[in-house]
Amino acid sequence: MKALVFSESSTLAAQVISGLKSVLDFSVAVPKDQADSVSEYGAKEVISLDGNPQMDAFGKKISELMNSYDFLFVPSTVLGREVAGYVSAALGQISVPEISKFEIVDSKCKTSSLSLGGKSIIDIISDAKVLTVAPGFADPVKVSEKSKISVMTLPDSSVSVISEEEKKGTGVNIESAKVIVSIGRGIGKKESISIVDPLLKAVHGELAGSRPVCLDYQWLSEDRQVGLSGKKVNPNVYIAVGISGQIQHIAGMRGSKIVVAINRDKSAPIFEECDYGIVGDLFQVIPKLVAAING
Amino acid sequence: MVNVIVLIKQMPDLEQIRSDPGTGKPIKNGVPTKLETLSENSIEAAVTLKEKYGGKVTAILFGNEQSSASMKRAYAMGVDDGYIITGYKESNYLFTARVLAEKIKELPHDVIILGNQSADTFSGFLSGQLSAILGEPLLGNSVSIEIEGDIVKVKRNLENKSLVISAKKPAIVSVSQEINEPRLPPVMQIMAAGRKPIHTEVPKIQPSGSVQIVSEISPKSDRKKIIFEDVDKGVSEVGKILKEATR
Repeated sequence: MKALVFSESSTLAAQVISGLKSVLDFSVAVPKDQADSVSEYGAKEVISLDGNPQMDAFGKKISELMNSYDFLFVPSTVLGREVAGYVSAALGQISVPEISKFEIVDSKCKTSSLSLGGKSIIDIISDAKVLTVAPGFADPVKVSEKSKISVMTLPDSSVSVISEEEKKGTGVNIESAKVIVSIGRGIGKKESISIVDPLLKAVHGELAGSRPVCLDYQWLSEDRQVGLSGKKVNPNVYIAVGISGQIQHIAGMRGSKIVVAINRDKSAPIFEECDYGIVGDLFQVIPKLVAAING
Repeated sequence: MVNVIVLIKQMPDLEQIRSDPGTGKPIKNGVPTKLETLSENSIEAAVTLKEKYGGKVTAILFGNEQSSASMKRAYAMGVDDGYIITGYKESNYLFTARVLAEKIKELPHDVIILGNQSADTFSGFLSGQLSAILGEPLLGNSVSIEIEGDIVKVKRNLENKSLVISAKKPAIVSVSQEINEPRLPPVMQIMAAGRKPIHTEVPKIQPSGSVQIVSEISPKSDRKKIIFEDVDKGVSEVGKILKEATR
């Protein structure tokens, strides 16, 4: 059967193609700046979309293209979820969100997704034609032969762009870090973050944070946010400092091999999701822990 | 003057869901329900627009007979009029969008506000679905909203960039949690909200397509869960492990 992947990110599109190309024939539609980089992953065809890259323009174009495909896969991003919703309603087809597994059983889709805010995993059998895909679906694997690229023009959008600003990142890629020290609300204030510097050095770690620290208080840049709405990480060691362990955070660090938690609240949910926990004030625990590692 | 429709939902209090140790399934019976997180931000955004420009806020909740507590909360926060549509079907997102769109078509409006991605399913489908069905532009994942004459303008937050975008009314605006801090209504307003009538209706259409949940289990945690309450002992043990694992 034939499937189309749409994404504004060639990296995320490559995950879907690599994960499912043994069961489906893929074409992939991306904004034109992503066309070259997505052509190395074994799609039969790359459709390079040229024009004002807004949700409704993508939605209309992809809906048209879907005449030739059995399924649409869209990696889950803000834009991706909107486009998936648009196409599903425009075609009157069932959609399933945030899948981590996909198979075809008796010409129906069988998928797994997180539900109840990460408190459950549901398996669904449906007539779905439109599926959003959770990040980290599969590792992208390059193939030797490049896909052929064709260019298509996007229809007009009813949305005007007044200004656009790239987010200031720090160039950090916590998704590839082997050791992560992640800080939460318990750190108290931005000035206190330096308490973890010696720990970062001692474990050769990368600094990350929870949603409140990165988004609500902006003590760290957004590219360091671990969680459902941030990055999904899978380091060898994940040290959670002053993080209570809300389910949305756990969803971002579940792939870690060893999890260490430091929190002064003995009943914090993070202690249910760690291998080793120390109950205590992080400002006292961290210097002692650094001394123990360096000693 | 602006006419604002705000779309809200009720969900189980997720932090109170426990797993049955025998079956490994989440225990959903008896879990208290609450107004969904981003629905609160959506109400706050809608009521703020009304306070700034004058007008009216109408809330629509697709839920069931037990959803009136959430609508009362919406009233207490400043919503003027509320419709509960009963007959919500879990995981049938197309049905949800079509039912809400049918109701929205009956109500004159300048702006429809909803959460970008609900805290329980994370689907994030609804804003795009409504844009396709209603033919109204979507200004998605907004962290600020302004209305200037016929134009709605928002700041849109994407993973790697932020944009200022605009579209003609009527428009759909989905909001992100960062847009505001939802207000805590005073007791007097909570009491007044309890007496305010809620319109309750049933869907005018039937669900189409088959969506069947065949299994639901709690994610397993295979963590060791070795917890030290003695800091010195913990630091010594964990220090050794970290030294080994990060060398």
